[in-house]
Amino acid sequence: MTAAAAGRDSGSSIAAEESGAEPQAPPYRAATATRKRTPRRCREWPLAGELALRCRHPLAAGARHHRRHAAGKGFRSVTRWRHLQGGSGAAMAEAFKTVEPLEYYRRFLKENCRPDGRELGEFRTTTVNIGSITTADGSALVKFGNTTVICGVKAELATPTEDSANKGYIVPNVELPSLCSPRFRSGPPGEEAQAASQFIADVIENSQIIAKEDLCIANGKLVWVLYCDIICMDYDGNLLDASAFALLAALKNVQLPSVTINEETGLSEVNFKQKNPLMIRKHPVATSFAIFDDTLLIVDPNAEEEDLATGTVTVVTDEEDRLCSVHKPGGSPLTGAKLQDCITRAITRQREVKKLIDKVINSIKPK
Amino acid sequence: VAMELWGYRAMGGSCLRPFSCELGPLSRPDGSAAFLQGDTSVLAALYGPAEAKGNRELPERAALEVLLRPKTGLPGVGERSREQLLRRTCEAVVLGRLHPRCAVSVVLQVVADGGSLLSCCLNAACMGLLDAGLPLASLFCGVTCALHPDGSLILDPTTRQEQEARAVLTFAIDSAEKKVLMASTKGACSMEEMQQCIAAAQSAADTIFQFYRDSIRRRYSKS
Amino acid sequence: MKPSPVSNCERRFLLRAIEEGKRLDGRQCYDYRNVRISFGTEYGCCIVELGKTRVLAQVSCELVPPKPSRPTEGILFVNLELSPMAAPGLEPGRQSDLLVKLNRQIERCLRNSRCIDTESLCVVAGEKVWQIRLDMHLLNHDGNIIDAASIAGIVALCHFRRPDVSVQGEEVTVYTPEERDPVPLSIHHMPICVSFAFFQQGTYLLVDPSEREERVMDGLLVIAMNKHQEICTIDSSGGIVLLKNQVLRCSKITAVKVAEITELIQKALENDQKVRKEGGKFGFAESIPNQKITAFKMESAAVDTNNVEEQAEEIITKADPPSEVFANPVLYTPGTAQIGEGIENSWGDFEESEREEAAEEEGEGDATASECQKMEIEGTSIIEETKTDEPILLSDSEEEEVVILQPQELPKKTRAQTNLKQGSTSKKAFIKRRKKKRAAH
Repeated sequence: MTAAAAGRDSGSSIAAEESGAEPQAPPYRAATATRKRTPRRCREWPLAGELALRCRHPLAAGARHHRRHAAGKGFRSVTRWRHLQGGSGAAMAEAFKTVEPLEYYRRFLKENCRPDGRELGEFRTTTVNIGSITTADGSALVKFGNTTVICGVKAELATPTEDSANKGYIVPNVELPSLCSPRFRSGPPGEEAQAASQFIADVIENSQIIAKEDLCIANGKLVWVLYCDIICMDYDGNLLDASAFALLAALKNVQLPSVTINEETGLSEVNFKQKNPLMIRKHPVATSFAIFDDTLLIVDPNAEEEDLATGTVTVVTDEEDRLCSVHKPGGSPLTGAKLQDCITRAITRQREVKKLIDKVINSIKPK
Repeated sequence: VAMELWGYRAMGGSCLRPFSCELGPLSRPDGSAAFLQGDTSVLAALYGPAEAKGNRELPERAALEVLLRPKTGLPGVGERSREQLLRRTCEAVVLGRLHPRCAVSVVLQVVADGGSLLSCCLNAACMGLLDAGLPLASLFCGVTCALHPDGSLILDPTTRQEQEARAVLTFAIDSAEKKVLMASTKGACSMEEMQQCIAAAQSAADTIFQFYRDSIRRRYSKS
Repeated sequence: MKPSPVSNCERRFLLRAIEEGKRLDGRQCYDYRNVRISFGTEYGCCIVELGKTRVLAQVSCELVPPKPSRPTEGILFVNLELSPMAAPGLEPGRQSDLLVKLNRQIERCLRNSRCIDTESLCVVAGEKVWQIRLDMHLLNHDGNIIDAASIAGIVALCHFRRPDVSVQGEEVTVYTPEERDPVPLSIHHMPICVSFAFFQQGTYLLVDPSEREERVMDGLLVIAMNKHQEICTIDSSGGIVLLKNQVLRCSKITAVKVAEITELIQKALENDQKVRKEGGKFGFAESIPNQKITAFKMESAAVDTNNVEEQAEEIITKADPPSEVFANPVLYTPGTAQIGEGIENSWGDFEESEREEAAEEEGEGDATASECQKMEIEGTSIIEETKTDEPILLSDSEEEEVVILQPQELPKKTRAQTNLKQGSTSKKAFIKRRKKKRAAH
């Protein structure tokens, strides 16, 4: 299933859940609704084996040509039930993919491109919108292709603990609600959400993105607490990069009202008219890689690639090329040299994202 | 002896703390191991491969579960994130396809934390897998490196050394090709420093794998 | 993991053996299993082994405000966890009946018997007191958890040292172990639980039942007692009726066992104290016997790290340098920017590759428009299927309505924020313009 079709599938299965069973639903709809958590392999399809054999892969005609073709319209918009009616080459490819997803990917990767038309080291279109939530003190919406993550920063006043009297707090939280992908269930956060929260907390801590002393208003009495809620709205892989980017953009967008402590009464006074931006000391940017067949590295994997990959690596760098995090949760082993390639790519990505953030922040600066 | 080691450390070398390991200390689990690195101690127990419970069953391979139990309080987000690191590391070496529709559960109990806890967890988990006799593609070991503010590299740091350090990097190294299976870092470092840490971890891995081998050999020796 | 049940024949076998006064591990009816106590390097950490049953205990402390009802008393918090490693079938984080029962018994044994002096834990009355937290983990379940836990709990409490504090006016200073020696808790007495299992409605009695025996027993009597022969709690469960004589006999046995165990505990504590004072080696590593075939030790080993710098240098020089070509971000509207292709789309109408989705979103009842879009999307390759697609599109429309809010809502917001005064009419016009553009495409 291509990225677009996958997105559409998840949408329709949600709708089916909400509205109950629809009597007039066409057969393929019903199938997608129940298919939710089953593996990608198609069981109910009698032609599967035969089609796989007969399938002439479009790549045979030339990879460059196909790259355009794959990214184009016809190839992607084919839905599954059409296979049963017609037998165009694209439909065959789609069938091949359903039956042998890994082999399908391998054929693309052999030609240094991916089914969605990207090169191995290419990110998806990255879009950022800041100030998306007007009620938050700072917010940003980030899209990596389909993956959509929104981050809202809420600032609250609190008293610090005694052993860190001049330090504020940053409390990140990553949420993966059930609406963002059929793979998540509602209820308490699952392992992936908790691991992502911990990763973001580590990035904040390791990179010193904000000096916690900057959040202090009155030593030992009053500090800012920044609650950074990161919510994934559409899950199509590479959650960590998108979350880290959304957090950085949202923090750059934060405007805190000035707070003074009245000497006489000892109470704090908040002046909402005078707002100051936060001092962002570092710009850590995460770059994730998926490892295919133990050797091949592809950047910015989508959900499908993540599922098929044998491992992932996330490298976080800042503008001084320091490594704020090298996060490789198991998976295929890599040599130091391969990791170095990841770092090199991450450094380039950091520059790009930094430019993007600067541009978007400058665009709404009051003049 | 302490002075000697200190001298070695100052010379730019580094050393591992004393290691101890006990295989099969527990009677109930299918495999268990206690692993000690200096004052750090982790107990690992393994159940399975056994019948999986309901939704956890995977059609083509064994479902692996890793639980990390802290010493005080309840497991939190930090434990959950480490569980993920440990589980994916174990998944990379366990030949799960030999046990489809089964469940394997690895439980790690922190007994004492004296620094380099994550690497001790990794070592305990690997010894637990070995004691249970699960088929593995390769072994793995955990090595923690700390970068001291003065630029020196410390292997297998104590809690004190971890607190003083600028950055603490933990790697899991596999025994087949000595590649990096898992990486997790705290603090920031340059890429040169990270590559040095990887090289040091690979060098330390030799010593640890030899320790694995010796303890297994002793376990199955006749005397 | 699923727990393994006891089969009927095993049950009958066990019961027959008990009737004949025999136990599977060769003990007599009144025999207690061996107790082994080992301490960790930290204060307040110990592992107690009762036969194969193993419990880890750790005491920690914290300064907290006291309970309003008892402003001059410290707090003792006790928690026992049944770790999933102890036996198959124990789920993490589940409050099973067994766990609740055990925790209540332990609490009654250690807290309600007032064995530690909570008043001495008060630092500033009504403001700051020590909270002593006792965490216990069952590591291996081979029966009689309660006895093992009660021993581990009291040993850990006896072993624990809290930091010294001083109060000057309102200032509370907590000293590190280097500044001042930590102080032990003041323990009044040491309550220890002893369990008795009853079989055949109380005809047969076994001290310290193993896990197998526990699974076939009819009832359980737990007596907690200190070495002064004072009963701290007594608890009978399992629904059997006991005669007065039986309880008296059990309490007599308890007195003997408690005296033995208390002596063992004191010896272990003294031993550990002595080793610490003399600067010898202590901790769990020392508690593993060297001659054990399953154990192996390695002295501190030097690792050659002399050429790591060269190795690192080599890898870095071999690797390609970072690319100097960067993608240039494109500003779409103030507050929205993008790297990559597909910039002619509005926010919410994402990239070229997703036109199909986007087209459906825009197709809100505008039948003609949606049709020509569809033609456009699928046109090149599968024109003939436009019609067969229609039912799908229609049924999709209701769910898409929810999505539709996004592309209209978001730009409005950004515009409001950036003070670009554009009404919703211009937005609509914009969409139309785009549609035209597409049709022409």
